[in-house]
Amino acid sequence: FSRRRERAARGLGAGGAMEFRLEAHRIVSISLGKIYSARGQRGGLKLHKNLLVSLVLRSARRVYLGEPGGECALPPRPGPPPPPDCERLRRGCRPLASEAAARGRPECPAESPRKRSAAERDPAAGYPGKKPRRETEQPPPQEDMETGNVASLISIFGSGFSGLLGKERGAAEATEPGQVCCEQPVLRSLNPWSTAIVAF
Amino acid sequence: MAGVAGGGGGGGGGNDFQWCFSQVKGAIDEDVAEADIISTVEFNYSGDLLATGDKGGRVVIFQREQENKSRPHSRGEYNVYSTFQSHEPEFDYLKSLEIEEKINKIRWLPQQNAAHFLLSTNDKTIKLWKISERDKRAEGYNLKDEDGRLRDPFRITALRVPILKPMDLMVEASPRRIFANAHTYHINSISVNSDHETYLSADDLRINLWHLEITDRSFNIVDIKPANMEELTEVITAAEFHPHHCNVFVYSSSKGTIRLCDMRSSALCDRHSKFFEEPEDPSSRSFFSEIISSISDVKFSHSGRYMMTRDYLSVKVWDLNMENRPVETYQVHEYLRSKLCSLYENDCIFDKFECCWNGSDSAIMTGSYNNFFRLFDRNTRRDITLEASRESSKPRAILKPRKVCTGGKRKKDEISVDSLDFNKKILHTAWHPTDNIIAVAATNNLYIFQDKIN
Repeated sequence: FSRRRERAARGLGAGGAMEFRLEAHRIVSISLGKIYSARGQRGGLKLHKNLLVSLVLRSARRVYLGEPGGECALPPRPGPPPPPDCERLRRGCRPLASEAAARGRPECPAESPRKRSAAERDPAAGYPGKKPRRETEQPPPQEDMETGNVASLISIFGSGFSGLLGKERGAAEATEPGQVCCEQPVLRSLNPWSTAIVAF
Repeated sequence: MAGVAGGGGGGGGGNDFQWCFSQVKGAIDEDVAEADIISTVEFNYSGDLLATGDKGGRVVIFQREQENKSRPHSRGEYNVYSTFQSHEPEFDYLKSLEIEEKINKIRWLPQQNAAHFLLSTNDKTIKLWKISERDKRAEGYNLKDEDGRLRDPFRITALRVPILKPMDLMVEASPRRIFANAHTYHINSISVNSDHETYLSADDLRINLWHLEITDRSFNIVDIKPANMEELTEVITAAEFHPHHCNVFVYSSSKGTIRLCDMRSSALCDRHSKFFEEPEDPSSRSFFSEIISSISDVKFSHSGRYMMTRDYLSVKVWDLNMENRPVETYQVHEYLRSKLCSLYENDCIFDKFECCWNGSDSAIMTGSYNNFFRLFDRNTRRDITLEASRESSKPRAILKPRKVCTGGKRKKDEISVDSLDFNKKILHTAWHPTDNIIAVAATNNLYIFQDKIN
């Protein structure tokens, strides 16, 4: 076992934030690989395992892309800023914008998920992961290429569970592995990404 | 503790006992056929029968021999009683999916007559099997010969009454009920109710209630499927009826929570009566916190006062009257916490370990890797790690406690974490309902251990 990798996963790496992101990077590609290979498994899609993988994928993606809530996957670090409300994020609620909202318990789709029509719910509510498009297009400049290239892939698999159900074929069509890798020398140097893309 | 009181230390399943090897069933071959991998182990109510199910859809039942006066030092051995093919692989043409024949669970029904009944389930279909003995056959039929050929009725000039004659014991298994087409998702649990008339079956999103006599319909009592599957955040991982209250059952989730439901309160038990959850420890958070908190097994104590849950790294005992935290937590293999990333990569983090109580609820047992299994004594708080291996398989050989070295210098006889064989996993264990006999499934082998007779 790689000790450095393990420590990074626990958030104790000496590299700090960078090590988290590398680790997250790796976990995303492992997760995508698992989702892909789950399709051919005997006995059909294992809902439980794939749900867990998609949750890990979502956490790792948040950390990698520096999205709010990414810290929820990691042990809290001392000092400011105050940690996000991980509990609400875990339940799939919208991050609270104001204190007034905090007093009530609005828009938590996971609380009584059944039999609520889309119309009843605020269409903008739901997983933070459901608005990936806008966010992934604002990464730090030097990473523009990579995240842009895999954004569609990650958004499909990272946003809730839809990636697994019915959109799997869409994922393969959304990216064109050969083209993307060749055009972006920066991307090519990051092996885990190209592996993940080629897998699809 | 039922059966034996440990000398001086009070009864307990842990160190007070000396566990001895008794028997091992299964092939010795290094090459294990996937179909032979044991997927469930269950004693019946008396403990005289021990059933195993495997990935090939077969059920093998062992029966305990009567105590032999000429060999007072050994308790009755378990020998094969019946073997039958319970489930076959099926193909769902509509969804273009193969349905595995692997037996996920076996549950015995309480014995009501000479025959034995058990429920066995794969991912989609539950079957009720009747296992009965035949030790007599009729001889002297009028219409057929001894070899079965039909006699010409016109040749029969006299009638005789057939006589029952003893024959070699034959054990027959026949499917009496087939409960099919009620589960869209994969069945993970079945549980017989204390009323002995109904049972529940649970898949990832739903729990159904069945009557043992009725196969063409079941009642859906829990449904956690969201209207929009994109909002799915948790699944049902295990469910069990209360041992005494026929209206109460619990189900566990992939988020580490347990819900207790009362069927008297409403027809659809989506609202729980009790909700058990331990607050997360923020300092141990990682990418894999959610996975390792997923509960893989839930079991009521025999008394019905407690329940036990197994998650990836620990076993927790809950008092049914206290919802906000467990009353006891036992670390099974905490040294794996720093290895979660690798265990995620090799899929071991998804292994579903089971747990079980002893007859008096004073001890609990669960499995680990490297063919290790752990026993915890709830009274003395002592624990022991034992190994199911062919090396320590001499008759009545006392098992030596094992220890995993977690850091620093490795002592003699300790094994380091990196040397553990993660392919040798003990997921399924069972404890005899009254005696100190345990059955441990190690891949394709079934080990039976018992405490040393004083």
